[in-house]
Amino acid sequence: MAALGRAALLLSFGLVVYALVAGSLAAWKRRRRLALSAQNALLAAFATTAVAVVVLWIALARHDFSFVYVADHTSRTLPLGYRLAGLWSGQEGSLLLWLLILTGYSALAVWLNRRTRDLVVWAVPVLAGVASFFVVMLCFISSPFATAPAPADGAGMVPSLQNPYMLAHPPLLYLGYVGLTIPFAFAMGALLSRRTDERWIVVTRRWTLAAWTFLGVGQLLGSHWAYVEIGWGGYYSWDPVENAALMPWLAATAFLHSVMIQEKRGMLKVWNMVLVALAFCLSIFGTFLTRSGVINSIHSFSQSPLGSWFLGFIVICVVFSVVLIYLRLPLLRTKTKLESLVSREATFLYNNLLLVALCLTILWGVMYPLLTEAVRGETRSVSKPYYNFFLHSFGLPLLLLMGIGPLVAWRRASLRALGKTFLVPALAALVTGSTLIALGYGSSTPGLLTYTFGAFVAASIGLEFVRGTRARHALSGGSWPGALVELVGRNRRRYGGYLVHAAILMLAIGIAGSSAYQTVRERGLHPGQSMEIAGYTLTYLRLEQRQEANAIATRAVVDVSRGGSHVTTLDPGKNTYPVEQQVSNEVSIYHDPRNVGDLFTIADQIDPKSQVLFLKVLVKPLVNLIWAAGFLFVFGALVAMWPDAVEQRKLAERYAANAVAA
Amino acid sequence: MIALSVAAVLAVFILYTSVAGAGTPQLQPSDLATHRQGDVMLVGRVVGAPTGDAHAAGGLHFVLKDAKGRNNAARVPVRYAGTVPDLFRAGREVVVEGSLRDGTFVAKPGTLSTKCPSKYAPAKKST
Repeated sequence: MAALGRAALLLSFGLVVYALVAGSLAAWKRRRRLALSAQNALLAAFATTAVAVVVLWIALARHDFSFVYVADHTSRTLPLGYRLAGLWSGQEGSLLLWLLILTGYSALAVWLNRRTRDLVVWAVPVLAGVASFFVVMLCFISSPFATAPAPADGAGMVPSLQNPYMLAHPPLLYLGYVGLTIPFAFAMGALLSRRTDERWIVVTRRWTLAAWTFLGVGQLLGSHWAYVEIGWGGYYSWDPVENAALMPWLAATAFLHSVMIQEKRGMLKVWNMVLVALAFCLSIFGTFLTRSGVINSIHSFSQSPLGSWFLGFIVICVVFSVVLIYLRLPLLRTKTKLESLVSREATFLYNNLLLVALCLTILWGVMYPLLTEAVRGETRSVSKPYYNFFLHSFGLPLLLLMGIGPLVAWRRASLRALGKTFLVPALAALVTGSTLIALGYGSSTPGLLTYTFGAFVAASIGLEFVRGTRARHALSGGSWPGALVELVGRNRRRYGGYLVHAAILMLAIGIAGSSAYQTVRERGLHPGQSMEIAGYTLTYLRLEQRQEANAIATRAVVDVSRGGSHVTTLDPGKNTYPVEQQVSNEVSIYHDPRNVGDLFTIADQIDPKSQVLFLKVLVKPLVNLIWAAGFLFVFGALVAMWPDAVEQRKLAERYAANAVAA
Repeated sequence: MIALSVAAVLAVFILYTSVAGAGTPQLQPSDLATHRQGDVMLVGRVVGAPTGDAHAAGGLHFVLKDAKGRNNAARVPVRYAGTVPDLFRAGREVVVEGSLRDGTFVAKPGTLSTKCPSKYAPAKKST
């Protein structure tokens, strides 16, 4: 079996290297048939990589411990789902999954765009080049098919990973990371083939959107995992590994916005190239961070020789992109200029600057320990206050722009028209802000600003829907809900975008509510004693112990009441895993429908002898908006992505016209 | 215009770094002796059994040594109060923030974190 896996990977290696060499040659010498052959090689590489993945999956499913990888990451008692998830719980398997997704995406992108020949011809060698790196790693540096005499049982999986989130969070992140390769390859393909019009953007728009959505949802799932499982009461800690996924997401967000300017006005061509290269390089950098162990993180990863390989690959990618963009600068000059600082284009530009600024300050924070080590010989690190400061100074204006942008006209907006459109949102913000101050929410300025700006954005998005629906209703009659559905259906990109904006707004409100206005209290309690927090009374009743399948569960039974009436019973506690010799915190959460928030309890310390419980309680208002935002985010992204026959036809006509003109 | 906006963003950045200083040093126990006063992040491996109670008046006491073997002799006693991570025990690599006072590293409450035995490394390699 292992031999089959190795053989399949070697075939993949041969195929992608062939696609790289033959594809470059074909594009260079304009050989049609050779180019087709390179494309087919890329398609075949997906098949051979899939064989390798299936081999590893069979080995994982069948407890074939002669595979070192299987023995290292699973055990006989591990359920099938987690055994299959073993594919991405280790380094070699993760690389293999990466290659599978990359070749799969490449095959699909090449096949879907086989008609846009001039672009695909050059995108193929770029895709093959990226794939070559991963396949070299897999064949020669870090093979998932290494074998050894089989031990009686495997080492198993870390208990904290044995969690349904493990089935979804890592693969979603990979789908996102790897997806950013497609727009990058087509962008570089456009530069190489000197086709620097917006064609590559149109071809890859949905790819970028899909990758960006996967990356966003993957991160949100990871946050939820941390929130309910790790049990410190938070969902994001600015850890380098978390930032690793956030940075390419921010760059891709900027890219998704700025390409609209190029599509509409033919501007920002260089900037878009820079952004797509940045997003791709950051996705590789993210993998480098998680793999190399070069930066201290609470997720400490196995130190591996892969770090320097990845570093080398990043350098190649950066140099390649920079040199190529520089060489093609004359072709990327734009004829149109920004006409006014008060226009849709300008707000997009501000949005881009803020997003990139946020992304780069995070990058600076992540790199800081390395930089200070290199320059001063002393490792220094920045932490939460640093990141929060920039999140506030760049994130809050971004939030406000989300409300302003859609209301400002393209090209040049008159101030008078602006006054009219901004009246309702500004009033909404004013009323919200002053009410909140009166209610005592002034305790946190960032929190107050988020809520106030949020009201502005909500009113602005709401107005857009109201105006559009009214216009549609006047045009075609029918029912109001029908008019709304038709409006969204006919302008999927625009209204899908607004839905995503609404999701980001919910996210921002949820984050502000649960961080700026959270209450934390901790106390040592004897059975029968109680503590008060934010209107709740928590009474510690007793300690319970029970034997579970692979752990001893200790639970503190805590009665929760409000205003004298019983609300719920919570049972925070700890699980002790005798085999793995680990203890894990099991938090207990009450979702309060009144404030969409949580009452979050942690049994920080339990003394079984004296029965003393040290209870930590957090009240996090609005925190559930964060998770709800995820659903709206996916829905909005799907609306924006959904194939649109009208749009396709318009584009086809436009290119036909262009081709004639050229 | 663009230059102006970029300048504004840069100004915010420089303002922050000049006001808030430039991060917290990360040190190992062996570096601590030569380090001047002030808050540091101490990274080290727990040696021997911890004593005391992190939620009682005396606090939790444990000893750290270098995690990456530059100097194996250096030992620093640590006093800590607040939440103790599940994975904390002898042999684990931990990070804690605080400062050295009279030979004891006095940690800020609630700053202790363990490096988790890894998302990806096989369990047998975790110590």
